[in-house]
Amino acid sequence: MSSTEDSPMTSAETKKPNYYLIWFLLFVLTMVEVGLAYVSALPRNFLILILLALALWKATLVAMYYMHLKYERLRLILVATAPIPLAIILVLGILLEYAQ
Amino acid sequence: MAIAATVGEHHDEQSFIRRYIFSTDHKIIGIQFLFTSLVFLLVGGVMALLIRWQLAYPGQAVPGGDPVSPKFYNSLVTMHGTVMVFFAVMPLLVGVYSNYLIPLKLGAPDMAFPRLNMLSFWIFVSAGIVAMASLWVEGGAAGAGWTAYPPLSGAPRYSGVSLGQQMWIISVLLFGASSLLGSVNYITTVINMRAPGMTLFRMPLSIWSLFITAILALLAVPVLAAAVIMLLFDQTLGTTFFLPADGGQPLLWQHLFWFFGHPEVYILILPAMGIVSDIIANGSRKPVFGYHSMVYAIITIAFLGWIVWGHHMFQSGMNPLLGTTFMISTMAIAIPSAIKVFNWLGTIWRGNIRFHTPMLFAVGFVALFTVGGLSGIFMASSSVDIFIHDTYFIVAHIHYVLFGGSLMAAFAAIYFWFPKMFGKMMNEKWGAIHFLLTFISYNLAFFPMHLLGMGGHMRRIADPTMYEFLQPLQPLNRFITISVFLLFVAQLPFVVNLFWSLFRGKKAPLNPWDDNGLEWTVPSPAPHGNFAVTPTVYRGPYEFSNPLVEEDYWPQNAPPNGREGKAATIGAES
Amino acid sequence: MSQSTNEAVVMTGGVSAEPGMRVYNQKLGMWVFLASEVMFFTGLIGAYIILRFGTDAWALPGIPLEEGGTPLAIQLTALNTFLLICSSVTMVKAFAAIEHGDQKGLRLFLVLTVLLGATFVGVQVFEYIQLAHEGFLPRCAEELAAVVPNCNLFGSTFYTMTGFHGTHVSIGVLCLIWVTVKAFRGAYSRENHGGVEVVGLYWHFVDLVWIILFTIVYLI
Repeated sequence: MSSTEDSPMTSAETKKPNYYLIWFLLFVLTMVEVGLAYVSALPRNFLILILLALALWKATLVAMYYMHLKYERLRLILVATAPIPLAIILVLGILLEYAQ
Repeated sequence: MAIAATVGEHHDEQSFIRRYIFSTDHKIIGIQFLFTSLVFLLVGGVMALLIRWQLAYPGQAVPGGDPVSPKFYNSLVTMHGTVMVFFAVMPLLVGVYSNYLIPLKLGAPDMAFPRLNMLSFWIFVSAGIVAMASLWVEGGAAGAGWTAYPPLSGAPRYSGVSLGQQMWIISVLLFGASSLLGSVNYITTVINMRAPGMTLFRMPLSIWSLFITAILALLAVPVLAAAVIMLLFDQTLGTTFFLPADGGQPLLWQHLFWFFGHPEVYILILPAMGIVSDIIANGSRKPVFGYHSMVYAIITIAFLGWIVWGHHMFQSGMNPLLGTTFMISTMAIAIPSAIKVFNWLGTIWRGNIRFHTPMLFAVGFVALFTVGGLSGIFMASSSVDIFIHDTYFIVAHIHYVLFGGSLMAAFAAIYFWFPKMFGKMMNEKWGAIHFLLTFISYNLAFFPMHLLGMGGHMRRIADPTMYEFLQPLQPLNRFITISVFLLFVAQLPFVVNLFWSLFRGKKAPLNPWDDNGLEWTVPSPAPHGNFAVTPTVYRGPYEFSNPLVEEDYWPQNAPPNGREGKAATIGAES
Repeated sequence: MSQSTNEAVVMTGGVSAEPGMRVYNQKLGMWVFLASEVMFFTGLIGAYIILRFGTDAWALPGIPLEEGGTPLAIQLTALNTFLLICSSVTMVKAFAAIEHGDQKGLRLFLVLTVLLGATFVGVQVFEYIQLAHEGFLPRCAEELAAVVPNCNLFGSTFYTMTGFHGTHVSIGVLCLIWVTVKAFRGAYSRENHGGVEVVGLYWHFVDLVWIILFTIVYLI
């Protein structure tokens, strides 16, 4: 029923991030994002790039720390991230339609 | 965590309904998929007969009925494709054999999530019911092709079909949900529930292919789901995803659909390839030639399969530069497939061949799949495709890989695992007759379609005689129709054999084919819980004619006999 | 259901399986499922990106509605985004609590997560009602379509993406309620709390998708 071997605690169980620190980081990033969106002085492409980067940063924080991926084995990380290249291929491939 | 299913446990007290209708036993679920998909195979086959009748004798009344109207013809080609792809071939290969074989061949007592498994089957049934019901609603069944391109599929004013098209979408969504649940089960089980010693590179190729197929389905089907949801909203909520009037893009649908659609065709063929590998090794009494390269070929096909989708869209008006990149990747994907064909030949070469019925179908698969693959190379060239796109050349290709490929492998699988499923043997003589009649009538029916296509005969047209340039091809159309009718009749020995053997077949021994898989170490039919104690695996799955043992096979879980050295067993993991 | 991440699944007769992923079945199954969910949202979000890329004008934030600016309530949704992020924190705190066998902490944080999640859904529904009043729908009202560029396309993509996300959140809330009820019945312990971890993974995923959605639908 339970573990048949007397195994040492893995890194997944010992390392614990500071969840409140991540929370604060996410809060700050969200504020920055909303603020930037209202600054019409920025060139449009630059704004889009920055906002996307910030969003991806926040998403990565949630995935790595709240979903614990930073402390999981590589195999599980592969399972979790496998769709990402496909998503990129799909969107880029179709966007190329407009590239003349 | 313990899965407390031991052989002959408390499940004996379960009612008939819990045991055979709402069963969580993967074997029962596999058998449920088997009978359900055979029924849909029949439905799809009848639709094909009606299509062929109309093509050979346009406008003439179907014997005992009315003529096929152009609108009904559109529904026929749509539903024939839909039923065959989603409700016949996919469940026959994936639904049946992923469910039945994965736990048995890996030494597990059942799937990782047995109740989700049961849910997956019943959602599949509901999908089928919705699809069939759509034939009777006002406006008729969906009529925009199984590929449902908008704007035709997006608005009733174009297709004449309203509710039917929406029901088509609902049934596809339900099917997608069923497929998703299945994939989660298969992937988790293969990763986490292999018997000790069953390393990944000791798994049979049938399991490898079903595993990779599950990953393809997991990641491709959701994109289809997203696309059909948007189509449904266009039809019902007035959204503008694909309808050009308000900024929608019809081409977007094609990209989304084929991004799913191409991995889908590999979902349809990879299990067939894996099953055929198992059966050819068994029939040749030899290990699979190049087992590792077979695995890498499956993985490569799966990888490349994600970047070839545009070859379905060469003539859509897409960006030609993009078309070129798709052409290159499509040509490339022929290579791993060819590797597999050569490895099958290498397996058979100088084998001690047993011509049992599964072997006949497996070898037939290799021949016919090769033909289908060769026609694919023509289509891969975007410039050649200008002439053959949307013609019967494509229809020939599709059917060579789907019927000559997937379905032949499905037949091989049915004959091969029937003894383990039902504890009875099917009749060998009638199996051989089924194979011969099918092989001959199949080629008579579908090979001429290449010629039709090169002659310019378009797809999905209800009356070819409307076009003057097609009229000289009518004799070919009639020849094909007659052959298709013969092909349909050729399935009769199979059906009779199947049902007769269920009740009156010879009792099957534990291991009628002298095979190495773990499933042949348990009684026939396999008992609930599968293994009294989880077996330990000592070698790869294809230890046939190994000089270290007396018999010409060496089951995966037979204990070592002390004569093995480091390099003794072929197919052992590195 | 065990949480020890280096334990193989135990099969018939007490025999352990090959190590595999070294993660218990339910957790592996949830990650596999989430991979498919990524593809689902890719389809919807990808369609939005592509459709919008093909337009020459879009309703942007910071511009009044009458001048063709966004009809969406950015500040309210920013607050909502923050609430959802808070719910992720309470969720992971609930999991951390039961990892130490802290039943009280588990229950408290689970209840907070449910409340925050339900609030998120409530605010979204409220926003939908407001937008519908203004005429912003999957097919925009004529007066609005005259002012907001590509209003129909905006409406189509907006409601589909946020609607499906909202549905996922709602299902998550229902699952969370179920887990919370079980927690109050003492179903979880330090040794056995896989249900909390697995529902937590789903919940964080839903938050993650929203982080992306909020940025590309509301802010860009």
